[in-house]
Amino acid sequence: MDDEFKVAHGEAVGTVAAQSISEPSTQQVLRSFHFAGLGSALVTTGLPRIIELVDAKKEPSTPLTTIYLLPGYKDNVDKANAVLKKLDSVKVSDVALRIVESFDKNILRVVLSKNKLKLYELTPLKVAERIEKVFKLKTAVKENKIIIKTKKIGIREMRLLSTRIMKLLIRGIENSGKAQLNIAPNGELYIIIYGNNLEEYMKIEGVDTRRIYCNDPFAVYRTFGIEAARNTILKELKLTMDNLGISLSPRHLMLLVDAMTSRGIIMGVGRHGLVGAKKSVLARAAYEETVKHLTKAAAIGEVDPIKGVTESGIVGKQISLGTGSIKLAVKNINKSE
Amino acid sequence: MLHAEAIKAIRFGLFSPEQIKRMSVAKITVPEVYNEDGYPIEGGLLDQRLGVIDPGLVCKTCGAKAKTCPGHFGHIELVRPVIHPEFGKFIYLLLQATCSSCHRLLLDDNEIKEFKELIHKELTREETINDVNITNALSNKVKYIKKCPHCGAVQKKIKFTAPTEFYIENTPLKPNEIKDWLAAIPDDDLKTLGIDPNVTRPEWAILTVLLVPPVNVRPSITLETGERSEDDLTHKLVDIIRTNQRLEQYINAGAAQLIIDDQEALLQYHITTYFNNETAGLPAARQKTGRALKTLAQRLKGKEGIFRYNLIGKRVNFSARTVISVDPYINIDEVGVPREVAERLTLPFYVTEWNIDKAREWVSRKEYPMALDIIVNGQRKRILDTNRDEVLKELKPGDIIERQLVDGDFVLFNRQPSLHRISMMAHRVRVLPGRTFRVNDITTLPYNADFDGDEMNLHVPQSLEAIAEAKYLMHEAKQIFSPRDGRPIIALFEDQIGSAYILSLPTTKLKKEEAEYLLGLSGVYELPDEVDGAYLGRDIFSLLFPKDFTFETDDIKIRKGRLIEGKLTKKTLESIYKALGAKYGFEVLQDFLFKAGKLTTAFLTLYGITVGVNDYMLDEKKEKAREEIISEALTKAKELYEKYKAQELQPLPGSTLKETYEKMLISILVDARSKAENFIKSNYDISNHAYLMAISGGRGSEVNLSQISFFLGQQLTLSGTRLKRGYYSKRILPFTEPFNTSDIIDKGFVTTNFYRGLSLRDMFSHAAGSRDSEIEKSLVTARSGYMNRRLNNALQDYYVYPDLSVRDHDNFLIETIYGGDGIDPTKVELLKYIKKE
Repeated sequence: MDDEFKVAHGEAVGTVAAQSISEPSTQQVLRSFHFAGLGSALVTTGLPRIIELVDAKKEPSTPLTTIYLLPGYKDNVDKANAVLKKLDSVKVSDVALRIVESFDKNILRVVLSKNKLKLYELTPLKVAERIEKVFKLKTAVKENKIIIKTKKIGIREMRLLSTRIMKLLIRGIENSGKAQLNIAPNGELYIIIYGNNLEEYMKIEGVDTRRIYCNDPFAVYRTFGIEAARNTILKELKLTMDNLGISLSPRHLMLLVDAMTSRGIIMGVGRHGLVGAKKSVLARAAYEETVKHLTKAAAIGEVDPIKGVTESGIVGKQISLGTGSIKLAVKNINKSE
Repeated sequence: MLHAEAIKAIRFGLFSPEQIKRMSVAKITVPEVYNEDGYPIEGGLLDQRLGVIDPGLVCKTCGAKAKTCPGHFGHIELVRPVIHPEFGKFIYLLLQATCSSCHRLLLDDNEIKEFKELIHKELTREETINDVNITNALSNKVKYIKKCPHCGAVQKKIKFTAPTEFYIENTPLKPNEIKDWLAAIPDDDLKTLGIDPNVTRPEWAILTVLLVPPVNVRPSITLETGERSEDDLTHKLVDIIRTNQRLEQYINAGAAQLIIDDQEALLQYHITTYFNNETAGLPAARQKTGRALKTLAQRLKGKEGIFRYNLIGKRVNFSARTVISVDPYINIDEVGVPREVAERLTLPFYVTEWNIDKAREWVSRKEYPMALDIIVNGQRKRILDTNRDEVLKELKPGDIIERQLVDGDFVLFNRQPSLHRISMMAHRVRVLPGRTFRVNDITTLPYNADFDGDEMNLHVPQSLEAIAEAKYLMHEAKQIFSPRDGRPIIALFEDQIGSAYILSLPTTKLKKEEAEYLLGLSGVYELPDEVDGAYLGRDIFSLLFPKDFTFETDDIKIRKGRLIEGKLTKKTLESIYKALGAKYGFEVLQDFLFKAGKLTTAFLTLYGITVGVNDYMLDEKKEKAREEIISEALTKAKELYEKYKAQELQPLPGSTLKETYEKMLISILVDARSKAENFIKSNYDISNHAYLMAISGGRGSEVNLSQISFFLGQQLTLSGTRLKRGYYSKRILPFTEPFNTSDIIDKGFVTTNFYRGLSLRDMFSHAAGSRDSEIEKSLVTARSGYMNRRLNNALQDYYVYPDLSVRDHDNFLIETIYGGDGIDPTKVELLKYIKKE
């Protein structure tokens, strides 16, 4: 490759990256619509998604995992459905029509829907057993109703209990929502599930652990480590940008993602992340929480080395980027007088 | 004067009372500011030893006048110690962490060692200590220690009520008790906590002497009425002195403890609000008018604070701002500067042995362009008619002349908001009559400017380095390709593309006079070969290419500088720019763009692109097609509904029956408009100029045409569903039939068009979508602005190291090779065209 095409030494690529990412987002109308991108799954996109990723929010608003299946499962609908059944979480509220509280008799009645029970292949007895096991309460089944005898408790406790019963998982995986089976263009079956409990998904037989993909960087970081998390953020950012129709050289996103993960953990760009990790007191004070940073620096006798862009600008020093990264020495030739 | 480059580092710390007294030039004791004669009182807050602000006066400390006196600090001796409010948390931490009797750190030797390492990591920021900081780590540890590991004393519980009250086992802890306690903490223990005891001793956070800032920090203003109005800080300091005095009187008079305590609390309040008038839990101190005082913390904080307003962004000289207007006949790297501006802006001219003749010429001129000032040995002097001869006589190498701006000088041109680096580029000056900056229309794209009253800024780089950087790095010609995606950002646009498209058609033929007019205007002084007694438009355009330019893609063929096949569209033009840039460099490309801009604009004066009602009116055939498309969609929708109702619909994987129906219905309805678009594509030609603009890529698309002439199509909400919100009866609007789930039209399938107008319910359907996106837009601007700021702050220190890795100024490695390949993002696209050769 010609040297002519290489980046110039000292080029402030960080600023270029930041501007390249944020400039189009102020120009275009970034619609925050949820799109039916994968099957009918609704995923946050647009600016809210970009901000979520860049901020390194610990809990993304729509964690979603794509589970590919092993050979033998990916082309067999019955077997794939068996995997799906293990993944798909069914709550009491999914099969219940309503829950009735009798405060005087200390009884909770859960009325179940026949159709729903059929859909999820459940019986009232199974549901009752589950409730009995988790809450350690006596239950009785009467046709479609489960009658739960509670201890003598107040109205408040009763309400709490009834909501907790409705949220009870009959089957499926903790911290996950609905799962659904989809068909890829190449005819392969795969599963999409709301949730990020990667470890649990991978324990299920038939799941291709090498191709599993989750859109939550922190979940990926916990299970696969920082490099995988870096790739996840990059991929998600790229996907979001592409969906918005913003053309952007991938190097800008790469730089951002590398900066966010170069310390071995995922750091956001805000005051608790990359900016907060700056050495310079002045740079931090100029960014946010001015007084806090200054007083803390004074209390412990901190030293600001004045090397970065913001601090140099404040004191009027030449910025050490770009042409400022090069120092010239002049050889003093004595002029013959 | 201290030169900024000499600053190696800045150390933060606390002033000890002794230091304060040492640096103070005046002890302030009098709460009054002026005496009866309106003169500053000695020992008052405007004591002339603290510096002067009135132009005539002389500073009593340094003897300098208002402009040169830097100001000097004074001090107030407080009768009782007072807690510095901003250090409340810090004091609390130390009280918790140290023994109440021996004042050692409540950690045993092992823990101390452990802790030292942790602190070291945090201070050097070697490792990421995300949520760990000394405060949290220490207070978590210390909370559970009941007994001092050093002297064995049982620890009592310390309580802290923000901002300044402390209790030990519910008895109040007085500031002087705290002071003694903190003073007894040994230096070694402070070091463990990461505190440098040579710079900061914690007891200094308890104030016994208060530093009074110089007067030029808090200047008083004289109103028109001759009344003087003091700065907020001065007001606050007056309060402090008064309260302090009264407290002293009470103590000397032996007043009741209760009264003294009250007065002490008042002093504490005044000092707290003096530092920060937004302290949580305290009422803000107010002016008589009810406005909260702006005290020290408020001066520093936030967007209008000292940091962001005065230190990060600074006001500059040698700049100009005015309205911009178009001029397609100045080059794209030029800027038309009004004479008035050029006369006032100057550039330094360094007189040397070699250019002294030129310098004399500058000085001797009596009208524009002339030299305005001369700087001899650092002394600036105006060059006037009265002293011109004298200046001329004494002119010698080493002098600096300040001359007016002339054609060809490099200046920086900028339009706000400066969202990316190409919002500020270097242009060559072209002095023109008029009062606006003149800009070539092609140049508006990177600035995102238009001419509806936009104003732009101009800066004149003064040093030789700055001029060189402007010329070689920021020059407009070097910014044709955007660093964002490597695509051209300075390029023909809108009707210029339409014009180029027409020119490139083989049927476009021009008369000799026309060809001469176009080419002459574009600065090309030759004619192409004649074809059948006329000149082909594409041959005329081809003259702008270099003679040996050969370039072929699937869409376009250029051989030896002649366009042989293909049409000029936005897409093909873009590939031409890249090829030209790759092969001939940016100067040639810039020249091409300039000439092509002039040529295409001039051609429009002959040909003209315009649209009329006829372009959007549907003839019988088209009207029939429109009706067919609509009725087809409606029948299909109805069939689907029947199927859905009869439960014959096969649900899509993962969807319920209802969801499946919705999805399939939406795809049918959305499809209807693409059918209209396809009809336009196959039935319209470029005699319809709206269509011409669409296919050439200049502006608009088939969507616009179909919405004007055919129908608007299905209106979707932001979440991609049909309109569904509304009444209990499942209808959207009150006048529609209730419980009609099959109603396609009511739920946003708009069959009317802009040409004939929307029906009432269609208007509502359309407005629902518009309203959604309008709301979204207003939210997005604020959010993206903040994201912009955070990203910039987070990434601004990263740059390319000579080995092409990306690092920050501490050599912290971010990327081993920039972008994985080390290629300049503005040249990525060009690289592809080099390889093709």
